[in-house]
Amino acid sequence: MRGRLLPGGDSRPQFRLPERSLRLLFNIALALVVAIAMGAASAWYSLDRGRLFNSLSLGEWTAWPESGSPDADPYSGAMLARSGEVPLGAAEGLAFSADTDSSRSPLSGRCNYVIVGQTPLARLWTLTAYDSSGHLMGEAGQRTSFQSREILRRPDGRFEIRAAAQVQPGNWLPITRVDRFRVVLRLYDTPLATGNQLGELVMPQILRESCR
Amino acid sequence: MNRTILFIIGGILLGGIVHIAIIFLVPTYSTRDAWTAVGRFGDDNQFHILPRAEPGTEALPYLDPTMTYAVCRYSLNKGPVRMRASLPDTFWSLAVFDRRGRNIYSLNDRSAEDSTLDLVVATPVQQAELKQVPRESLESAIIIESAATNGFALLRVFVPDPTLAEPAATALRGAQCAAPL
Repeated sequence: MRGRLLPGGDSRPQFRLPERSLRLLFNIALALVVAIAMGAASAWYSLDRGRLFNSLSLGEWTAWPESGSPDADPYSGAMLARSGEVPLGAAEGLAFSADTDSSRSPLSGRCNYVIVGQTPLARLWTLTAYDSSGHLMGEAGQRTSFQSREILRRPDGRFEIRAAAQVQPGNWLPITRVDRFRVVLRLYDTPLATGNQLGELVMPQILRESCR
Repeated sequence: MNRTILFIIGGILLGGIVHIAIIFLVPTYSTRDAWTAVGRFGDDNQFHILPRAEPGTEALPYLDPTMTYAVCRYSLNKGPVRMRASLPDTFWSLAVFDRRGRNIYSLNDRSAEDSTLDLVVATPVQQAELKQVPRESLESAIIIESAATNGFALLRVFVPDPTLAEPAATALRGAQCAAPL
C-alpha cells in the first residue's frame, strides 16, 4: 500500500482532502461541545446562585416582589420551577429573607444572634429560620417561628428575638448548629407588596453576639 | 489553529443561545415544580389540607409554619371552576397559580370584605359566556380570567396558636374547589 501511494505528486491532494474535512468535523464538534458546556453551566450557575433581577434590598434583607407574578423575568420563573416554591401573591404579602447579619457575615448556627427593631407596616408578620436546604430548624414540637401577635415588645414598640441553639430568655427562636442558615420575615397584607411605599422603611437588624 | 479559535468563539456564542433555551424550557420540563408537587396530595378538583409543617416534614418548600394550608389543582377543560369556603375571622388569603406557577390572582380576608370566599376561575371564552348569560347565583362571586386551562389554588389560614389549628383545619375541610356554578 505505502509503496503504491508514496511516489507521484498527484496522489497528495487525495490525502489532504480527508484530512481537511476531518479537521472541519473536529472543529464543529469542538464548537458544539463548547456551546453545550457553556450554555448548560451558565444556566445552572445562574439558577443556583439566586435571583438577580428586580430584588428589593433593605440592609441584610432581600425580597423579590415580582417573583411568581406573570411579568416576572424568565430566570425567576425557571428558579421557581426548580425549587417548587410557592411565592406569596401581591394581596397576600411579601417575604424578606436574610442570609447574613448586619455586618454582612453569613448567619451561622454556631453563633447567637439578636434580631432587633421594627418592621414595615403590615397587618401581621412572622419570622422563621430555615437551614441552607430550606428545611425548618429545631426539633419536632419546638418553636419554628415567631409571629407579631405573640411577641414580647419593649415599651417603645421595638422587639427583640434571640436566635440561638441554647435556651434564651425572652423571645427565643431555636436554631440548630448548622454552618449556614437563613431567616425569612413574611409581611402579610402589606402595602409594600402592591408597590405602595408608605414612609420610611425600617427593617429589623440582625446582630451577632457570641460564637462558639 | 486560527480557525480552531474561530470555532471556539462561535461555540461560546452558540452557548448563549443554549443558555437562553435552557432557561425558557426549565418551567415546561421541570418535575420538581409546585404544580407537580401539589398533585401528590390527592385527586384534582378538590381541596386537600397540607400536613402541618414540622422540622423535616414540610409539605412544600418554604411555607410559613404559622399557617394551615389547603391546595387544589384544577382544570378548566370542563368549564369554569368555582371555589367556595367559609373561613374563620382571622387572617386568611388565597392565591391562584397557573400551570407554570405564575400567580394570576390573590386576595386576603380584608379584600374579600367578609369571611366567605366565592371565586370563579374561567378561560377568556368561558368568561365571555358567563357575561352574556349572567347567572343570579354568581352575583356575589369574584370572576377571574386565566389564559391557562390548568392551575392550582393555595388557601392559607393564620393559626395564631396551636390550639386554633383544629378550627382552621375544619374550615378548610369545608372548602369546595368544584362548587356548582
